[in-house]
Amino acid sequence: MAKTKFPSLEPYKNELWVCGRCGDCSLADKIIASDRGVDHPCGVKNVLGFEAYSAKGRVMILNDLIEGKLELNDDIVDWAYACNICKSCQETCMATADGIKMPEMMEALRKDLVANGFSLQKHEEIETSIINEYNPYKETKDFRLLVFGDREFPERADVVYFTGCTSSYREKEIAVTTVELLEKLGVNFTVLKDERCCGSVLLRLGREKTFANLTNHNIEAIRLTGAKTVVTACAGCYRTWKVDVVEAGYEYDFQVLHITEYLDNLIEEGNTSFGVDEGIRVTYHDPCHLGRHSEVYEAPRRVIEAIDNVELVEMRTNNRYAHCCGAGGGLKGTNGDLANEIAGNRIKEAEETGAELLLTACPFCYRGLKDGARHIGSNLKVLDLPTFLLDTKIGKSVRRREEEPLKQKFMTYLTQHPKIFDGLKNGAIIDYEISESRFHIKVVGKRNVEAKPHRAENPDVELMFSPAAVETLVTFDSEDEYAAQFGKFFKEPTDEKWIRFNLRLNIVKLLMKGYRKFAQKAGLI
Amino acid sequence: MTIVKSSKTHPLYSELVSITAQERVNDNPVIISAYSQDACHLKAERPGIIVMPNTVEEIQAIVKLCSQTKTPLVPTGGRNGICGACLPRAKNSVMLDMINMNKIVKLDDEVMTVTVEAGMRWAELIHLLDDRGYKLGFRGPYGGNAATIAGSASINSMGYAASKFGPTPESIVSLEVVLPNSEVIRTGSGWNPTAQIFTRYSTFLDMTGIFLGDHGTLGVKTKVTLKIYPKAEFSTFIDLGFKTLEDAMAGLLEVQKRGLTEELNCLLARESADTYFPGLLDNHPEINATFHCIVMETDKQLAERKIEVIREIGLAHKGKDIGNFAAQIHWAEKFNEVQPMYNNGFWLNTCHLRPITRLPELMDRMRTIFKKYDLDKHGIKWIADALAVERAYAAAWITIFAPTRDKMELAEKAWNEMLDVAMETGGCPYWSGLLWEERVLNKVEKSFIELYRTIKKAVDPDNIIAPQVFGGVD
Repeated sequence: MAKTKFPSLEPYKNELWVCGRCGDCSLADKIIASDRGVDHPCGVKNVLGFEAYSAKGRVMILNDLIEGKLELNDDIVDWAYACNICKSCQETCMATADGIKMPEMMEALRKDLVANGFSLQKHEEIETSIINEYNPYKETKDFRLLVFGDREFPERADVVYFTGCTSSYREKEIAVTTVELLEKLGVNFTVLKDERCCGSVLLRLGREKTFANLTNHNIEAIRLTGAKTVVTACAGCYRTWKVDVVEAGYEYDFQVLHITEYLDNLIEEGNTSFGVDEGIRVTYHDPCHLGRHSEVYEAPRRVIEAIDNVELVEMRTNNRYAHCCGAGGGLKGTNGDLANEIAGNRIKEAEETGAELLLTACPFCYRGLKDGARHIGSNLKVLDLPTFLLDTKIGKSVRRREEEPLKQKFMTYLTQHPKIFDGLKNGAIIDYEISESRFHIKVVGKRNVEAKPHRAENPDVELMFSPAAVETLVTFDSEDEYAAQFGKFFKEPTDEKWIRFNLRLNIVKLLMKGYRKFAQKAGLI
Repeated sequence: MTIVKSSKTHPLYSELVSITAQERVNDNPVIISAYSQDACHLKAERPGIIVMPNTVEEIQAIVKLCSQTKTPLVPTGGRNGICGACLPRAKNSVMLDMINMNKIVKLDDEVMTVTVEAGMRWAELIHLLDDRGYKLGFRGPYGGNAATIAGSASINSMGYAASKFGPTPESIVSLEVVLPNSEVIRTGSGWNPTAQIFTRYSTFLDMTGIFLGDHGTLGVKTKVTLKIYPKAEFSTFIDLGFKTLEDAMAGLLEVQKRGLTEELNCLLARESADTYFPGLLDNHPEINATFHCIVMETDKQLAERKIEVIREIGLAHKGKDIGNFAAQIHWAEKFNEVQPMYNNGFWLNTCHLRPITRLPELMDRMRTIFKKYDLDKHGIKWIADALAVERAYAAAWITIFAPTRDKMELAEKAWNEMLDVAMETGGCPYWSGLLWEERVLNKVEKSFIELYRTIKKAVDPDNIIAPQVFGGVD
């Protein structure tokens, strides 16, 4: 068999070799055994069954391809595009600090497939459409703004709403309601008159050639508006701006926020409130591109929880371990039936919560979940978050909730005693919980930490304290005394004074972030 | 639904599809590739076709078909063992991927047993039982997130809570097995169709035991009945450090003889502490071995008292109380402890059983090998660890990690010597598989292995199920 070249995939050879094929990415249910929220992580494998579709199986197949033991053919193409690139396997994986990077490897293989002349006609058409019409849907580029009717947008504004192709041409309700919502909130915003596809779909399919053209244009178009903030309601666009564009070496001088982050800021600043008249129970689906790929988990939840009369209930898998909706990674376009099956499984999870409404924050997920509900005959209502918010009672201002005195006291104490966090690297984040109320500490420099009064997006470690333990800890002037008592409460807990913890990252990553010294100082080891 | 379509070249493809379903049978090399290895580096034959059965009846039909056509059949579970036990030895085998069969068949709280389908994973069963207020005794091997109950039963898996409950087979009350002639047998009190499954030992010989550790050679396990216990709400922990391995061993043995712990894990060598638990001994330069205890009870005072007794035993053996963080992490990170070690490279293990008293001897010999091959200098890290198993023996877990492919050859040389030493010093591997098979067949008494072969020939005259394992029958 002639050996095919895999220039994009081959740099991952060592990563492929290190994988011990433990199978966590395929079959793990860690919910009780290690309190990690993982439950059969791969949505594709859960439908198709065979190990070949899990990351564990993919490792063996990729090794075989590189070693020339498997022939590159149409079967490989079918297999390669039967993956959502959702990163659930990588998030589950504990073999390396970041987990085995299967999403990157599948994208690398897809690039190699294209380079080796293995191409799906559908994908070629998408690429051609993006090159000619700047959208993947073969729609006329001049009609992009038709979704907004007669609305006119200013040349310059503080904020650009980056609509994205799917909201512009397919899930138009999301584009319209997001604009209406921003108007209602009094945001000084505009929409680009000649927005181009962000390039996400091409990258996911292994096609890069027009990405530079798209990105250069969009950056310049945004610059011309003078906006310092770009807001998008599309998780795919968001990930492209936050991750892919940056990794490709582009620089831009505006901040990019997902709509849920933007709204969260408005609520936090006391500028906005939402409410519904009748109580409603909702659940939230984490879009993979917003959550695992960009680490935005809590902002949408805080927005939902801030809506008066709305109760948020979590699905069995949520946050970083949430199952994919099945639409991502080009899978819905390539294997629609498979995407519907995966989405149907996610709908069943949502139904198990007893929620009346399933919210998400991404046009792909919205479409995918709606199709999934239809596919399994579910009546569960699915809405995109801005659409839901538009129909709520929107207030201009709200009195910020007073923080609990003990929580406030502890936050103040910790920020005034940054020595407690000596040894932790910049960016280390610890989540604290007292009486079910959360805050987090982020290390932002040497002897410099900041406290935020809410749960962290993706903490390294979660620490839970009894109120009495906190009352004692905040009395110490010396950080060493604090650390000694901290260790004692952990090792010798009483019914009244105790500390518990959950490790949220794998131990290799924790060590890289400096937690060895932190644990030693606290007398834990 | 099928994405990668079958090649339809395996001679039994059509029949297997008619027994099961088209989307549960596949012989495409892409699909087969994903079944070519378990979690070790050893390789055997690739299966010829994969089938994912859903029911006992399907398995009976598949076994019958294989028997009629004299086609080798290999049942597999999570395929994440570390000895190559699930890999076929014969060409063109039919491989059963059992993971669809993962339901609880019956939880009988009158007799405290749970019967599960063969493909149930340990971590999943722990979850399901916890929801209902119960726990398992033995909790599963270290790969229990993906390892199946029947897979572990087939290879005598060792792991969590073996300290109190012994290895996998000790927790098993009964099996349902499809025999090579396609008949179904139920063992333990299951021989009586009107009885509950409540005991392994009744009326006849221990038929369950024949199939435990058989590496799937005597039939296809389809159900397993396990002992269950009330969930214990109270956990206590302790880490004890010792200046010498001999002191640690004496303390460990005493704790173990008295049956005090749910889980008891021992670090044998300080030099490997940073691979096993980074930072654990940084503040304790005098300590050269440790052990870590987990006690679980339904009564808080009892849990606390047991830890006090263990501390007293440790101190009496010149030990030092060094806290409980390692023990807590060990238990909280159940089934997640091995994976981060891959960060050190691909692993070569020597897992086997031995009396606790013979651990120091093993370590002396292993250290000589580490030194001979200058493993440290080549960046080859290692861990030396032992897991106490009921009363007085332990699973010794000495593993080396080749950091890059180019170090694999050297690592394998050292590893092969280590395997020899494990055998020479009275070790008995709990499984065989490709990892140990040659060595154990060289060592095993003829009458022992011939009795196995007689049984195999009687049960499987056409040598259909997992042929050539244990050296085959010819």
